[in-house]
Amino acid sequence: MTVTEAPRAASPAVVEPTPQAPTTGVAAVVGSGNPRMVGQLFVGTSLVFLLVAGVVGVLVGFERVDTASNDLFGDDVFRAYALHTVTGLFLVVLPLLLGLATAIVPLQVGASTIAFPRASAAAYWTYVASGALVVASFAVDGGPFGTDVAGVELFLVAMVALLASLVVAAISVGATVLALRAPGLTLRRTPLFSWSMLVAAVIWSLTLPVLAALMLLSWVDLRHGARFLGGEGGIYDRIAWVFWQPTLYAFAIPALGIVGDIVPTFARRRHVKHGAALFLIGLFGALSFGAWAQLGFSLDGSATSADFLFSGPWVVVSFAAVVPVLGLLGLWTTTSRRGSPRVGAPLLVGFLGALLVLAGVAAGAATSIDALDLDGTTWMTGQANLVLIGALTAGLAGVTFWAPKVFGKLLPDPLAGLGGMALFLGALVYALPDLASGALGQQRLVQGGGIPDADVDTAEVLNLVSAIGSIVVVLGVVAFVLALARPRGRAEVADDPWDGHTLEWATSSPPPVGNFATLPGISSEAPVYDARHATTATEAAP
Amino acid sequence: MTATTANIELLADAPPAEPPRPRVLLAGTVLASGAAAMMILALMGVYLELRDQVVSAGDTWLPEGANIQLTPGTMGLVTLLMSADTAAWAVWALRRYDRNHALLAIAVTELLGVAFIVGVVYGWQQLGLGIGDSTQALLIYTISGAHVAMVGAGLLFLLVMGFRAVGGQLTGRAAEGVSAAVVYWYVTIAVYAVIWYGIYVAK
Repeated sequence: MTVTEAPRAASPAVVEPTPQAPTTGVAAVVGSGNPRMVGQLFVGTSLVFLLVAGVVGVLVGFERVDTASNDLFGDDVFRAYALHTVTGLFLVVLPLLLGLATAIVPLQVGASTIAFPRASAAAYWTYVASGALVVASFAVDGGPFGTDVAGVELFLVAMVALLASLVVAAISVGATVLALRAPGLTLRRTPLFSWSMLVAAVIWSLTLPVLAALMLLSWVDLRHGARFLGGEGGIYDRIAWVFWQPTLYAFAIPALGIVGDIVPTFARRRHVKHGAALFLIGLFGALSFGAWAQLGFSLDGSATSADFLFSGPWVVVSFAAVVPVLGLLGLWTTTSRRGSPRVGAPLLVGFLGALLVLAGVAAGAATSIDALDLDGTTWMTGQANLVLIGALTAGLAGVTFWAPKVFGKLLPDPLAGLGGMALFLGALVYALPDLASGALGQQRLVQGGGIPDADVDTAEVLNLVSAIGSIVVVLGVVAFVLALARPRGRAEVADDPWDGHTLEWATSSPPPVGNFATLPGISSEAPVYDARHATTATEAAP
Repeated sequence: MTATTANIELLADAPPAEPPRPRVLLAGTVLASGAAAMMILALMGVYLELRDQVVSAGDTWLPEGANIQLTPGTMGLVTLLMSADTAAWAVWALRRYDRNHALLAIAVTELLGVAFIVGVVYGWQQLGLGIGDSTQALLIYTISGAHVAMVGAGLLFLLVMGFRAVGGQLTGRAAEGVSAAVVYWYVTIAVYAVIWYGIYVAK
């Protein structure tokens, strides 16, 4: 087509804007709405909180060895346990996954930035502030089981702010997938991690506000005479349901997407039945909506019934949740078998994370068998640890895989692989003894930790092994922190070091502001794979 | 070269069709509305569970001295339903580049929203219970207070979008901002319908 109209000359009266020097130093961090920077901050801060949760978890583990006394924490053992669990989930696992998604999802869907960059940045700073207040509230004798009312109130208010920040961050990611996909990238072609984050954003947006409502109600109740929620001691009852199935599974949804993107890249072929994988992740997400499965209420706070336990829907969901995880593992095995797989730390760590999630979900199915009498025992503690450490391990596999895009460097493969192995073995040594002692009848710590007299010695040995496992988990995390902290060096990282399939590999490492100069044509879920193979075919043609 | 072939070649050279404008704010608002609704519905769930326990035991749910009249609650619902209509009017007018009607519609919606809040506050004064007097009162104040906060957020959202409409940013296809505010407003009204039934009708 011929252009006949000459471009107009620029008016001499127009003054070109003076280019501003890019902001540097602290201002570049604090004032940044760049999703890559916000993602880095989320991931880095979550690892700092992980050290808090890990150290407290190790100490609580050793406290449990002697079932007759609490030498380390004394009367504060329940508070320490609550600090470990609340920090581990809301300050570590969720923010780590959200941080990774904040940096990667806009790239995967071919967007220039995240949907609400300022809201996302605000969510991060609210997370930091409220997270610090949550930890501080435990330090001033607050938090669940605390005796200082002001400290307990501080915990409740900080939790509401923390949950709000996580929901806002999730909404930013979800809206990016819904509304900012590049032309041609239909939902059917969405990369599995982005899809899993959309599913997770929907489920988290419907679940976390329920917990926020209960925290708000607990705060109002506490301020006006602690009428019906059991005061300071009853708060953990209002939180505990997020550590039980099915809600527990909601926090592992992104893990499935992460592994789903890593496997085909390392298999050097397309994901087998991508549509089925989308469906299975969606099914897992739908099954994990569990705000209905929590302790009941009573007018005077005297009873906290658990009517949902062993009800038909709960049993069905407990068993059904195994299906999508097994199905995905089957698809990934088939993808690897049909491709030309190579081994790398992201694949190894991601696969181990998925296995942990599968073990946790399978343990959940056993929990729902009434005859086994596992409800309220350490079996549930072990199950929660398997699922959450599985999600954490898969999240760290994602950090390793996408490090060129998030941090502009490749993580040392042996160190990351070693960390993943330590996390996997540590999680098994940490959780399996809990499952065994739960089968013997040992109660969860917050329910007194009681054990039938005949099995006390066995349970104490199992508790010791579990405590040693928690140390191995912490060592695995330390390996990842060391891998992340290693200097970038002078070597430039390749734009696509893994021969990736999805759009994030079509830009530089790290990506420029705006992410893409041009996008490849999108006609499938693996546009970069398509472009690479089209080029190869063209070069091979005579 | 035939005329048809030439046309096809011309089309091949043409720039690709502009992608539809992303409805980012609308997508984000739908997710945020769901989150806000779940928060209040969770509180209502607690209220209804406790009420069910008391009523099943043969007792009266509301404590002696509580004054919850159906009429003011219904008036609140009717007020919000009217505001739903005026909110839809605002979007309809903006899509037709009719800024005057859009501003009138947004102003009336704001007015109705404020009237609703005034009605709720009046209801608190007439309730005859302090927040710490009973579990029932504590729940009623918390639920209605949280909903008033939700209404306030909706009014602020609509106001900001109204100002942007005054600035001429949100007309025609770009009326998405007001559409998003209106979607949030509809969810607010739907949540109140649950509160109205649970607190004012069922008592």
